[in-house]
Amino acid sequence: MGLLLSRQHQRSALLRAFALLSQTFLWLGRGSLRRRRQQFIEQLFEMGNRSVLFITVTLGTLGMISVFQVLIQVDRILPEYSVVGPAFLLTMVREFAPTIAGLMIATRVGSGIAAEIGSMVVTEQVDALRMCNAEPVDYLVAPRFAACLIQTVLLTMYGGVVSVVAGGLVANLVWGIPYEVFFRVDNITYSDFLAGFLKCVAYGIAIPIAAAQAGLETEGGSEGVGTATTRAVVNASFCVVVLDFILSGFAFFFLFD
Amino acid sequence: MIVAKGVGKSFGGERILSGVDLTFHEGEVVGIVGPGGVGKSLLMKILCGLVEPDEGEVTVFGRSWADLSVTERAKLRERFGMLFQNYALFDFMTVGENVAFPLVQRGDMSAQDVQERVVERLTQVELSGVNHLYSRELSGGMKKRVALARATIGEAPIIIYDDPTAGLDPVTSSKIFNLISDLQRPDSLSLITSHDIERMMPVCQRYIMLYQGGVYFRGTAQEAKQSQDPVLRVFFGGDAVDVGRRTMAGAEGIS
Ligand SMILES: Nc1ncnc2c1ncn2[C@@H]1O[C@H](COP(=O)(O)OP(=O)(O)O)[C@@H](O)[C@H]1O
Ligand SMILES: [Mg+2]
Repeated sequence: MGLLLSRQHQRSALLRAFALLSQTFLWLGRGSLRRRRQQFIEQLFEMGNRSVLFITVTLGTLGMISVFQVLIQVDRILPEYSVVGPAFLLTMVREFAPTIAGLMIATRVGSGIAAEIGSMVVTEQVDALRMCNAEPVDYLVAPRFAACLIQTVLLTMYGGVVSVVAGGLVANLVWGIPYEVFFRVDNITYSDFLAGFLKCVAYGIAIPIAAAQAGLETEGGSEGVGTATTRAVVNASFCVVVLDFILSGFAFFFLFD
Repeated sequence: MIVAKGVGKSFGGERILSGVDLTFHEGEVVGIVGPGGVGKSLLMKILCGLVEPDEGEVTVFGRSWADLSVTERAKLRERFGMLFQNYALFDFMTVGENVAFPLVQRGDMSAQDVQERVVERLTQVELSGVNHLYSRELSGGMKKRVALARATIGEAPIIIYDDPTAGLDPVTSSKIFNLISDLQRPDSLSLITSHDIERMMPVCQRYIMLYQGGVYFRGTAQEAKQSQDPVLRVFFGGDAVDVGRRTMAGAEGIS
């Protein structure tokens, strides 16, 4: 790749990711989205379309299975079904909806970002941008970053609703728990929503950066794009898991009573 | 116009170029030749400041890339037009937007003038009426011509054509070289990398041959053909054209 990377090559991947993140914010601040509105909107739709079915299936299944499994255990230990719904809703909001959705988005959207940017590197489009005094971060990364951040938040909310509804259906249809017992929300506070929201914002920032970095660092011919895509998925998923750990700790100490 | 001194570059421990000294002047058309994978494209990217050499320095209009700030580099790159080996047409833009891009980025012309210039340039490369198409809808030869239009539209003082005929049939290749020749302006410098020596002949005044990591030959085609060096004779097709062609075909693997 070009100058940017050869200079930065000695630095660790994490430092490069932070450099890319700050450049992205810089270009967003300079009105990148206003200038690339069309690309931004296209990306928004493409990412949403690519992920919505995937999220529906995975989070729906997750909701059903976890309610089912928990109910089997509860049935054995304390046949008191009324605690299951609220506990399930709480863990979904705080933990599983954002993190599972985050992992799915890391796979679907992250691979897409890396493949698109990687093939632009391989076909020298990135070099051509730089020859024309156009910054690849402005043209390629900023619109994808903004679209991915927004979609991560939206898809996580949507996925959360899907999993909760699916769980409620299983509880009602298989175990006969009334909906008003299962969907009791009085033990969920704003802090819980805040914890979940912080997670999906953090994932929405980390995933496109990890993926764009892998794409921009693509080396070699078209095989390089495959390697970059794999690296994007691995790094983005890893970011999700690490951020989950950090933010769960943060929420435990500072948000929850 | 461009001076390279002791330029060297390695990738992952493998030395691709070393000790390359070159000088190019305005008004020249220079062919950069050599087998595939020898580093022609790499050298072009070093000359236009896209790749930083490990050793040596490149000065353009008396200014060394290494001494310039990011903004100054971007400014200096505006004095280059470049046709990339892999077309490098932006797939998120139409043909018209692609060709207009260097002018739009430079920002010194009205939208009206830019459009006129785009239409004129596309007509010159015999591609009128494709403005609204995307590059994926074009054939290889058409893409090269669009890339040619984009490289030359800024009328930059230095134009680099990196393998303008790679992967094209002989008829289209000849057409591309004719276009390059038509678009050449007397005060500009053009560098053309290729291994299609026969078709470059009418366009290039002198040649630089890269071989085994460095400059192996510099001079005219006539000098190369008359040389006693078998590699040169094979490459430039002196009295061993057929052998040359066969060897070249073997060497074309990666380009
Ligand atoms: N960014 C890069 N990273 C690693 N190797 C590279 C890079 N750019 C070029 N090379 C290597 O440098 C050599 C020369 O490539 P290139 O300049 O494309 O040759 P040519 O244009 O003469 O066919 C090849 O072996 C290629 O693998
Ligand atoms: Mg090449």
